[in-house]
Amino acid sequence: MNLVQRAVSHGGKLAPLVIPEGLTNGTGLMNPSVYVDDDGDILVNLRHVNYTLVHAENKQQFPSRWGPLSYLHPEKDQRLATENYLCRLNSDLQMTDFTKVEMLNLHDPIWEFVGLEDARVIQWEGKYYLVGVRRDTTTIGQGRMEYTHIKLDKKKWTAKETKRVRIPAPGKDDSYCEKNWFPVVDEPFHFIKWTMPTELVYANPKKPESQTVFTKETPKPPRDQRGSSHAIRWGSIYLAVTHEVDLFKNYLDQKDGVYRHRIVLWDEQFNLIGLSPEPFSFLDGNIEFCVGAAEFEGDLLISFGFQDNAAFVLRVPRLVVEDMIMEALTYEH
Amino acid sequence: MNTDNIEKLVVELSNDPFNESLNFKVAEEYLSLNQTASAVSFYLRTAEYGTTREYAYVSLLKMAKCFETQNDRVHTVSNCIFQAVTVLPERPEAYFYLAQFYERQRQWQECYSMACIGLNAVKDSHPVLPGTTDYLGEYCLEFEKAVAGWWLGRREESIVIFKKLERTPHITEEYLASIKRNLEQIGATV
Repeated sequence: MNLVQRAVSHGGKLAPLVIPEGLTNGTGLMNPSVYVDDDGDILVNLRHVNYTLVHAENKQQFPSRWGPLSYLHPEKDQRLATENYLCRLNSDLQMTDFTKVEMLNLHDPIWEFVGLEDARVIQWEGKYYLVGVRRDTTTIGQGRMEYTHIKLDKKKWTAKETKRVRIPAPGKDDSYCEKNWFPVVDEPFHFIKWTMPTELVYANPKKPESQTVFTKETPKPPRDQRGSSHAIRWGSIYLAVTHEVDLFKNYLDQKDGVYRHRIVLWDEQFNLIGLSPEPFSFLDGNIEFCVGAAEFEGDLLISFGFQDNAAFVLRVPRLVVEDMIMEALTYEH
Repeated sequence: MNTDNIEKLVVELSNDPFNESLNFKVAEEYLSLNQTASAVSFYLRTAEYGTTREYAYVSLLKMAKCFETQNDRVHTVSNCIFQAVTVLPERPEAYFYLAQFYERQRQWQECYSMACIGLNAVKDSHPVLPGTTDYLGEYCLEFEKAVAGWWLGRREESIVIFKKLERTPHITEEYLASIKRNLEQIGATV
């Protein structure tokens, strides 16, 4: 049973996220990040890309010319470009406001992946941030997490980037790509960089510096558990959604992949205490991706993208969340 | 933007995720909002998981239209249409799409050839498709044949076809206007 079915059949709700085609040329709206701010507003950062993902599933009878998993960008423009829309939802998860985030023009992109990707929206110490990965600052596509400081005008509903800080990897800063760090909602400027083992990192929002706070041993995961949602407080524990990916190639050496998710749990000291014994999907698609989680009126909001082409927020009733937690606590390692 | 229908349909789909009819309905709903990328995802699932060839066929044609509206995806547009041809090569609609595609590319021989192949596939006995296409009837293929024929030096044939089409009943206003305009440009108005 997929999670949408499970949640909705217990009183939850699925909300599709759509903004007018005139702004997007109809291409992908994906990987939304949901967050409930200090005013109780449900915010979502919605990623818009200039491509349409084609993923042929099942017997893969109808792949694109470039294989079963292809990013169909304009044929005369090789870039995979991202822009971000900051949205507000009402308590029924209907979108009431949206605005394109006006980014600072700090450099000319020099790699094919352009823009701030899979940005998580968060408010720390009263200030709003988008925290995502940017890969357009080097000719080899090196990825680093970046803070985008946001000035959000809630009356006019505009959002502007006022400052950008590129976060080095802690230590030698020699890795190729840093992405999908979980922001820890109630620990300002702290992220879980790795799940298993659990590495907690502090990243200065004002200047490019970071440090590992600690690394805690965990059991070996069934498959590498990577960052997806925020890490949120759920009673006395931390809860987050991880993603795992099976990337492979077909006999024609064309890439393909399957993404799945799990719930991960930590105690207050970030000792890992649970992981969903089995991965789940949202809608039984092979490419799905969760970028946000938030508690709202006692339930859990999870935001996810479907095949890079569609975006949803799912309200998961507390009862279902508690069941998922119980399942995760049985994880045998 | 009202997404109530999408919500209802996707929730229904979550209970039966590989159902061709439900995937098709979700795709159609996204397309009605011009959300072509989202529509592509669900049309492709219709084609990949479905068992009814008509669903796959019309979904691939719809995908071609989606990519066409996104601009600068010509290889993908033609790929989708050619895939539709492989599903139901005996039907005319995909050949009409190819004829139109080649007309836009000003590849007149290809346009003419596809129109002729399509005309050869016109029959009353084809099952009704589960969704609409841009193919409105035999006259659409005749029109493509006349347009391409003129550019290939078949002026007299082109005029004969256009004049025949001008008298065809139940032709759309848009086509009729285009036929008259073509006849004027050719200098063959009666």
